Amino acid sequence: MKVNFTLNERAVSWECEPGESLRDALRRKGIVSVRNGCDGEGSCGLCAVLLDGRLVNSCQVLAPQADGSAVSTVDFYSRNRELSIVQQALVDASCVQCGYCTPAVVLALHELLERCPSPSHAEVQDALSGTLCRCTGYEQFYDAARIAASRLADPAYVEPAGPEFRPDLRHVGKDRDKVDAPTLVRGERAFVEDRVDADACHLKLLMSPHAHAWIKSIDCSKARSMPGVVEILTHENCPDQVYTTAGQGYPEPSPYDQRMFPRKVRHVGDRVAAVLATTPEEAEAAIAAIVVVYDVLEPVLSIADAKAPGAPIVHHGDVTYVVGDPPSGSSVKGDGRDDPIVYQFPLHADPHRNLAASVADGIGDVERGFAEADVVIERTYIGTRVQCTPLEPHVVYAKVDSGRLVIHASTQVPWHVRRIVSRAIGISENKVRVIKERVGGGFGAKQDIVLEDVAGYMAWTTGRPVFFRYDRRMEFMTSRTRHGMEVTVKLGARRDGMLTAIEMKVDADTGPYGQHCLTVPMNAVSKSLPLILCDNARFEVKTYYTNLSPAGAYQGYGAPKGSFGLQTALAELAAELGMDQLDLIEKNRVRSGSRIEILRSLGEGRPGSPVTLGECGLGEMIARGRKAFAWDKPKPAPTGPDWKVGRGAVIIQQGSGLPGLDSANAELRLLTDGTLLMLSGGADLGTGLDTVTAKAAAEILGLDMADVTVVSGDTDTTPFDKGAYASSGTYFSGNAAVRAAEDLRDKCIKVASGILGEAESDLKIVPHGIVRGKSGEVSLAKLAHMSTQGEGHGDLVGFGNFKTEHAAFPYGAHFVEAAVNVRSGEVKLRRFHAYQDCGTPINPALAMGQIYGGVMKAVGHSLYEEMLYDGQGRPLNLGFTDYKIPSIFEVPDDFHVEFVPVEDEVGPFGGKSVSEISLNSAAPAISIAIHDAVGAWCRVWPFTPERVLRAMGKL
Amino acid sequence: MVKEYFRPAGVEEALELLAVPGSLALAGGTFALAFDARAKPERIVDVALAVPRGIERRGGALRIGAGARFQELIDSEAVPAVLKAAAASMANRNARNRATVGGNLGANKSCASLVPILLVLGASVEYRERGRPSAVVPLAEWLAAPKGLALTLTAPLGSPAAGKPTPGEGLRAASLRASRTACDIATATAACAFVLDAGRVAGLRVAVGGFGPHAALRLDIAALFEGKPLPTKAEIENAVLPLLIAIGDQRGSAEYKRLRGAALVADTLHAAEVIT
Repeated sequence: MKVNFTLNERAVSWECEPGESLRDALRRKGIVSVRNGCDGEGSCGLCAVLLDGRLVNSCQVLAPQADGSAVSTVDFYSRNRELSIVQQALVDASCVQCGYCTPAVVLALHELLERCPSPSHAEVQDALSGTLCRCTGYEQFYDAARIAASRLADPAYVEPAGPEFRPDLRHVGKDRDKVDAPTLVRGERAFVEDRVDADACHLKLLMSPHAHAWIKSIDCSKARSMPGVVEILTHENCPDQVYTTAGQGYPEPSPYDQRMFPRKVRHVGDRVAAVLATTPEEAEAAIAAIVVVYDVLEPVLSIADAKAPGAPIVHHGDVTYVVGDPPSGSSVKGDGRDDPIVYQFPLHADPHRNLAASVADGIGDVERGFAEADVVIERTYIGTRVQCTPLEPHVVYAKVDSGRLVIHASTQVPWHVRRIVSRAIGISENKVRVIKERVGGGFGAKQDIVLEDVAGYMAWTTGRPVFFRYDRRMEFMTSRTRHGMEVTVKLGARRDGMLTAIEMKVDADTGPYGQHCLTVPMNAVSKSLPLILCDNARFEVKTYYTNLSPAGAYQGYGAPKGSFGLQTALAELAAELGMDQLDLIEKNRVRSGSRIEILRSLGEGRPGSPVTLGECGLGEMIARGRKAFAWDKPKPAPTGPDWKVGRGAVIIQQGSGLPGLDSANAELRLLTDGTLLMLSGGADLGTGLDTVTAKAAAEILGLDMADVTVVSGDTDTTPFDKGAYASSGTYFSGNAAVRAAEDLRDKCIKVASGILGEAESDLKIVPHGIVRGKSGEVSLAKLAHMSTQGEGHGDLVGFGNFKTEHAAFPYGAHFVEAAVNVRSGEVKLRRFHAYQDCGTPINPALAMGQIYGGVMKAVGHSLYEEMLYDGQGRPLNLGFTDYKIPSIFEVPDDFHVEFVPVEDEVGPFGGKSVSEISLNSAAPAISIAIHDAVGAWCRVWPFTPERVLRAMGKL
Repeated sequence: MVKEYFRPAGVEEALELLAVPGSLALAGGTFALAFDARAKPERIVDVALAVPRGIERRGGALRIGAGARFQELIDSEAVPAVLKAAAASMANRNARNRATVGGNLGANKSCASLVPILLVLGASVEYRERGRPSAVVPLAEWLAAPKGLALTLTAPLGSPAAGKPTPGEGLRAASLRASRTACDIATATAACAFVLDAGRVAGLRVAVGGFGPHAALRLDIAALFEGKPLPTKAEIENAVLPLLIAIGDQRGSAEYKRLRGAALVADTLHAAEVIT
């Protein structure tokens, strides 16, 4: 039917289906800024448009309903490439991260300012109430609204500069526009889904309805003959290879235990078949025509189930080792039916007893330590599974171009995608190109190769372009969750609070496959134990296969759960001793110059070594938090008789990449007009990594940010980088960029020396792109021009490689004030202060945004989020309606981030990592605050009202 | 799958179209159109132009067109604070800009934002059936057996028939909800309306949601406190708890929901303020 309306003030007349949503119609017509994060639930707001001036979700408006209306999208504000007041304010407030929600935020704030030119805090909150954002933590949206309102009132308004660092540098330590922000606030084509050609085929999956079952038979004959069907893949015709989907450095510390299509399904949502068809509807119809007969097995639905004697076995194939021998007593002979498992090296595993990996080690004499203690406590803390929930689900577009497979990916690990996909398909890496597009949130879930293998194989074998996008339900079911963990902490201490022994036991649930099965649970120990100085420490980590959803990487890796266990246990010990929890932390924490012996036992799948810490900012951070919270004075009054107020504080740490394992590379080209092209291997997920590398170039070459363009994450055009994980972006990829810039600087000086006739030692680069000597100077533009002419020596290109054995730990002290309702169990966060040492903040406001966003994710995990399953292993909450991530309403009333920079000697300009660490605090700090308020310990996250009431003995 | 879409200009035409089997009256669409994967009816009759949308106070009563959006309730000066609060409990502004009063009644979900407060205010529904003149019935009656197309709601804002307010006082009312997050579906909802007659609760109406397929008036709960001084919250909770029956789900166990619901009823009775 014909639908007539005005779109961005232009009359349009579109032919639409009666049931077509306005969202789908807009996207069909090329308005890509209207996104889709919830498949029509109406819970994410990413498809928002202004309909007759009101902000509405276009997924819940039929296109015919728009007839006669005025529809506006963000594109209206992007004409002539000028940014609107709101768009510029969002850039200035540094709250454009992945950018997937940004068009919706632009519209929401424009609509707000139209009816309310000077909005209050509550009015901003209300305006953004329908928009979910997983990256920013919402806090800086208030800044953006304020800036926009100020400019609306006074176009000449200039926002005062935020905190600045490193006064000796021009760009580093100062806020600069995020390099991809203008593209993202305009809602321009940037994501994988924006790259899909009109003739693309659509891939759909048939997923297992059972948690554990043999596929007895599968009949695709009818489906194959259906209209539009191009190809169908099952376990019978897929490549007979096992691999890991974990995007880790090779050889991976994860077992190769996954086949493209398994013979035995191991979780609800496991792959049974894939259909490639010319339309999504044809693919869906063919999926429905596939007949599968299952032999349903008893599922393993918990860690306790997995380790019980006689438990069902999740993996029963032959077990082999590329290097090393099986652990003594482990079973390696399979049942002859199941897919094999290949370990690259021993992980102390015994898969036929559901043990995917294990490790145990320690220092000192723990038994003696406990014997010497005046007080010993032992507690178990349970962290349930939580979902990464990037608002852009997993998505890939693969096609064959000039005899090569080209994969447009939303990934954190382009090079690992290339390696794993080429292996899975059986072609060499030179036949594969991976292009990382802008990533609409990753948070760890996109460190795994979730779609690219099957999409790549389909494209390669059929020659047809393949578009494969998860819907939200699939994203919840088969993406990657944070491992379920049970962390048992035993502490011994003297009466004065000095620890005599620590023991941590971590039992983890990796789900059906073993991606990250050693490293995530190990990280629970390796990012928590080194915060505490104790001569006697021991840990044991065991990871089990189950038939729940696949676990994997999630921002913070294993650290949030380890931190929850250890930090809460320390507070419980303090309560037992009658001490203030911060006093106990002060007695036992690491400090500048500490020798951290436990690191001897905590290598990432290799031997570790002790570290003597340089400067550590924990003392200052704790002092600032104590002061801000008036820690030594009585607690603030509650707001009413039903509410009690409590406070909690924790210290946290993370790493900065994987010393000795990872490496990054960058190449910096001087163009003939004196501008720069940075070719970075780094994978910017919206975190601002491309801005870090641009800053490095601009800083060192004396140019402005606008003079640097960054191309990153393309395996054809940029050099190798390990990828974006393990908090390595700034430290590794940033350092590679620094080295490339330094290399280019040195080459420029060398060439300029010849031109100017001055010694290299007398030359330096000064703003703005000038090589200046004692008597003469030459611009970079002239240098580049001369170098590329006949008499020159060719392109001036700098190359930088970074790897290190140096471990750089960011630290933090986070403080919480919570109000707990003693009748309802509800917890409200009144204050959350994050004092954080990330070394030199390369771009302070962007770094703050990383922390706000990280904290809010952890607040969600601590209070609201939890993957739920029924008794057959079927996930119960597969969308944002039922799985609640925080909205802007859940932001703490007083949310504050403050840097206490302690420069790292190796980091770029003294920088360290910043993002992941901020997920490590909320669970223990809130748990401690709840206890401080109502005297009950909550040892299972999330601390739902029901769990709080149960801990209080009211249920 | 939707195959036909109609947008009738008047109620008669709408009723004709809706008379065809398989037709669905579409209001704001925040429920009917939610979820891409949910099966949709083949015939959609968009009643946006067919039903009134205005909001006005007339003779001590509030009259709301079924097509009024939730946000329009909040923006209207005619609407008392207690009803605005109930509308605002749908915390998502994008949804409030589409969701209508009529749609909230038509969907009649247990977690409905407006139904409890409209029930305790004694609202009535004017509706039309095909070929018949409009009729008016109490909201509770219409919800029990929906008929025709709801056109307007009228909520008296004065004193209920029973009970005489203390001089200077009027009808008190409150509406509250409990949910995991602000934008979550409610675990429980509660609303009440009463007057204080010489310090005693009079003409009490209580409605709760989350304890059955629909939000509903609870005469048994109201009877506990009618004619008595307002008890303490703890006393109300203890009295109400045995009367609530819940089903456990992903938002909480049955035991928790009952406790939460009882606490919500207590909070609602204590939060009630005179409607102005």
